[in-house]
This record gives sequence, C-alpha cells and structure tokens, in this order.
Amino acid sequence: MMRARSGWREAARKAAALLPYLAAVAAVFIALAPVYWLLTISLKREVDQFAYPPQWIGFTATLEHYRDAFAGGSFAAYFENSVLLAAISTIAALAIGVPAAYGLARFEWPRQWDHRIADWILSTRMLPPIVTIVPLFLMLRQARLLNSLIGLAIVYTGFNLPFVVWMMRGFFEEVPKEIEEAAMLDGESRSGALLRIVLPLVRPGLAATAVFCLVVAWNEFLFALILTQTEAAMTLPVGIASRVTQYEIKWGAMSAAGVVAMIPVLVFAAAAQKYLVRGLSLGAVKG
Amino acid sequence: MNRRRIPEGFPWVLPSLLVLLALSIYPLIYSVKLAAADRGNFTRLFTDRLFLTASIQTIVLTIAALAIEFFLGLALALLVDSLARGRMFFRTALLIPMLLPPVVAAVAWRLIYNPQFGVLNGTLRWLGFHTAHLTWTSGESSALASVILVDVWEWTPFLFLLLSAGLQAIPPEPLEAARVDGAGAWRIFRDVTLPLLKPTIVLALLLRAMDLVRIFDQIFILTQGGPGTATETVSLYIYRTAFRFSNFGYAAAMSFVLLAATMLFSRGLLRAMRAR
Repeated sequence: MMRARSGWREAARKAAALLPYLAAVAAVFIALAPVYWLLTISLKREVDQFAYPPQWIGFTATLEHYRDAFAGGSFAAYFENSVLLAAISTIAALAIGVPAAYGLARFEWPRQWDHRIADWILSTRMLPPIVTIVPLFLMLRQARLLNSLIGLAIVYTGFNLPFVVWMMRGFFEEVPKEIEEAAMLDGESRSGALLRIVLPLVRPGLAATAVFCLVVAWNEFLFALILTQTEAAMTLPVGIASRVTQYEIKWGAMSAAGVVAMIPVLVFAAAAQKYLVRGLSLGAVKG
Repeated sequence: MNRRRIPEGFPWVLPSLLVLLALSIYPLIYSVKLAAADRGNFTRLFTDRLFLTASIQTIVLTIAALAIEFFLGLALALLVDSLARGRMFFRTALLIPMLLPPVVAAVAWRLIYNPQFGVLNGTLRWLGFHTAHLTWTSGESSALASVILVDVWEWTPFLFLLLSAGLQAIPPEPLEAARVDGAGAWRIFRDVTLPLLKPTIVLALLLRAMDLVRIFDQIFILTQGGPGTATETVSLYIYRTAFRFSNFGYAAAMSFVLLAATMLFSRGLLRAMRAR
C-alpha cells in the first residue's frame, strides 16, 4: 500500500517535471505551424490547397508550383536579382566599413571622437526607411538609377554600412594591439597588418557580419518596393508582394517562391548562430 | 598634442562618413526642403484626420505588441532556461519566425487568416467551433488585433533571444547567495534576476519599439491598411501619400513625426548600449 502511494507520488512528480517541456514544445509548434502550412500549400495540388477539413498531413505532393514559379514564371529572375543585390551590397558595405571599424578601434582619437563618430554612424542606421525613402527615390530618379540593381545596391550598402562598422569595431577591439604592432616592427605596413594578421583573426566575426548584411538585403522590402517597379528589376520579396496584391492570387506558385525565399535565410542563420544575439542587437550585446 | 592635427584614424573612417552623408544626411536635408516648400504641409499635420488615426493606431499597435512580446519573450526565456535538456534545440527552433523574410511570413498568415479558405477557421470549424463571426484581418474591428498577433508571432522570438542571452550572462553567485539565504523562487526572480536583467530588457524594448513605430511590410501584405482605415499606420500613410498621390512634400512632413519618435528611442538606446 505504502509502496503504491509513493509510486503515485513519483509518477505525479515525473509528470510535473514534463510540463515545462510540453509548454516549450507547444511554443515551437506555434512558431513553426505557419511556416509548415506555407510549405504544404506549395506542395499541394490546387484542389487540395483549400480543402475542408484542412489537410495538415497526408496530401498528395506535387512540385508543379515550383516549376510554375521558377521554370515558367518570373521568379527565377527575381531570385537572381536578389542574389546579385545581396552579394554586391554586402561586399561593398564590408569594403567601406571594415577600414572604418579598424580606424575607430585602433587609433588614438582626441576627445572621444571615436565614440562620437561610432554613435553617429549607428544612429544613421536607426533612421526609419520611410523617412529617407522619398528623397532617395527622387535622387535616384534624377540620376536615372530607378529600377536598376545598381541604384538599390547603393541604398543597401548605405543601409548595412553602419552595422558593419559597429559590429567589426567590437571584433577588432577584442584583438590585442600587440599582435599587429609586432608585425609592423617586422616591416609590415598598417594595411598589410590589417589584411594579413588582424582580419584572419577576426574571420568568424567577419563572416557573421557578412551573413547579417546578406540577410538584411535579402529580406528587405520597402526600399525594393519603391525603387524597383519594373518586372526586370524586382527582387524576390517585391515579386511575391506584387502577386499577393493582385485580384486573383496563384497561391501555389507564390508559396513555392516564399519557401525558396526563406531557405537561404535559414541556412545563413544556422551558420551564424553563435553571433545571432550580437548581430540582432546591432552589436550591442556580446554573444 | 597639436589640436589641429588630423587624427591618424581619420582617413580610415572618411569613406564611410562620406557614404553616410550622401545616403542619410543629404536625404534628410532634401526632405526638409521638400516639406518646407509649402508651409501648408506642416499645418495640415494637425488637421488631417487620417494622419491622426494612423498615429493613434501606430501607438496602440506599438504598445500592445511590445507589452505582449515582452511578457511572452520573458516567460519563454525563463521556461527554456529552466529546462535540463534540449535548450539549444528550443533556442534555435523558436527563433525561426523572426528570421524569415517579413513578406513571406505575411503571405503565410494570409493563408491562415482568410475567413473562407484559411486554415485557422478551417481547423477551428473542424474542431467544432463556430467561425462565421471570426473575420480576422478582413473584419473592421478585428483587423488591428490580428495584425498585432502576427507581429507577436514574428517578433516575440527577438525578445526571447535577447532575454535568454541576458539570463545566461547573469553570474551564478548572487542567485546561489539568495538561495542560501532561503529566498523563494519568486523572491529570487524579483530581487536578483530582474534587476540584473534590466539593462538587457531596456535594450531589447527600445530596439523593438523603434522597429514597431515604423511597421510596414507585414501590414502592406496583410491588409494594405484596411479594411477602411482599420490598420492604417504612419509608415503606410506616408507611403501612399508619396507614391500613390505623389505628394512628396506632405509625405516628408509626416515622416518627421516618425523621425522624432525614433530619435527619442535612439537616444535612450545609445545610452543603454553604453551602460553595458
């Protein structure tokens, strides 16, 4: 009798210990269900997409929507635009921003000018896009750079630049000064020391910074919506959005495009996982 | 040291400064010129009912989403932190909504919300609930709440991520000491964990608030500000004014209201970052 009761208590204790896991699993389910649903719509035949009751599992899968969107449709071109744009703007932001980060982290600045400049640079990143978009639109129109990848690449470079400076400054500050001073005593120039000694040391940080720039450019919507209005210049998010706001929506092709649009982001996030906190808090929290 | 001498690091920083001057500061000045070209642009701010509506809705959305995301994010962070196993898995899986392209996330939610063929009402009906009155984003009274719900889904992970990192950074000693002193779980949370977490909380809330007042992508896809003006926000209204009605001057004038709000947040933010 005693044993049975303590067995009960033991079981109750075990069940209670499981509760937090159940709650966490429920949270994961809520976080992933919309993504899963989008995936199923992209894989279902049109008759099944909006069937009642909703088919969460056990539907006939087809790849026709992916073919529709990418082989027959224009999403392949949008995809290419997005890839080019993300790559060009990331490389440009790194090329301009890394030296600035190094300059702020390594040199003596009178009267805390390094802090003031860094704060000013970061505060430009906080400008709401909608504030600068009207003048940028008019400026690019004047320069005949509307609806061109170059115009949007310039804007994205400026958008990511503050982030690069702020992130990389933190990484450079973690490298002991003595390392490059030794290299410079051995006859290495300042920029040689940066390129050959310091950059390899901060490579993980550099990679994480690049990943964040890529993701921002890849996901960005508002600038792209306004600055690329022709079919030829559209990015993937704008292409998807232009289909949703039409009267008759091809949900299958659009979901397929959406699934394809989120894959690179998830891959990149997995790659930069160690630096997610630092990157997403604009480099403010070390992690 | 000679005060006039240019700092050694200046040439390194110069290209960045020039690019940002051209792409941030010059546009701002341009914007002032656009708005100031007609003084009516500023007086209209005070008489424009739609701008008032959009502002109020933006504030409501910001406060509601921020509050819910904060409490949910904190609860999730504490929950996952208390688990003995699988913490890494939960931390990763719970972040996914925030990483997706916002446009794609919003498309997924259109598929969910649609009153006729959406999976939400479909599943609820299948479970035996009445769904005729559940109109989500297409109902005038439920649209704003539905938009807030999407934002909560998408951005609670952000609060969760930062607060989790903050929890992990708390040194174990003060917690141990409190436990030895016989403090209960709630006391420890209130008197030890929360104060130590405060810098992270301030930082996370400010970052999120700054993003919320400019919310655009999700609403553009979900409702375009409708039905009627039920989900109109400042960003959306500025967008429409500039790019549908080509009234660039008035759009610029309105954008300064948004800028003012952002500057308020960003000053606090820089201070919070410095404090860490």
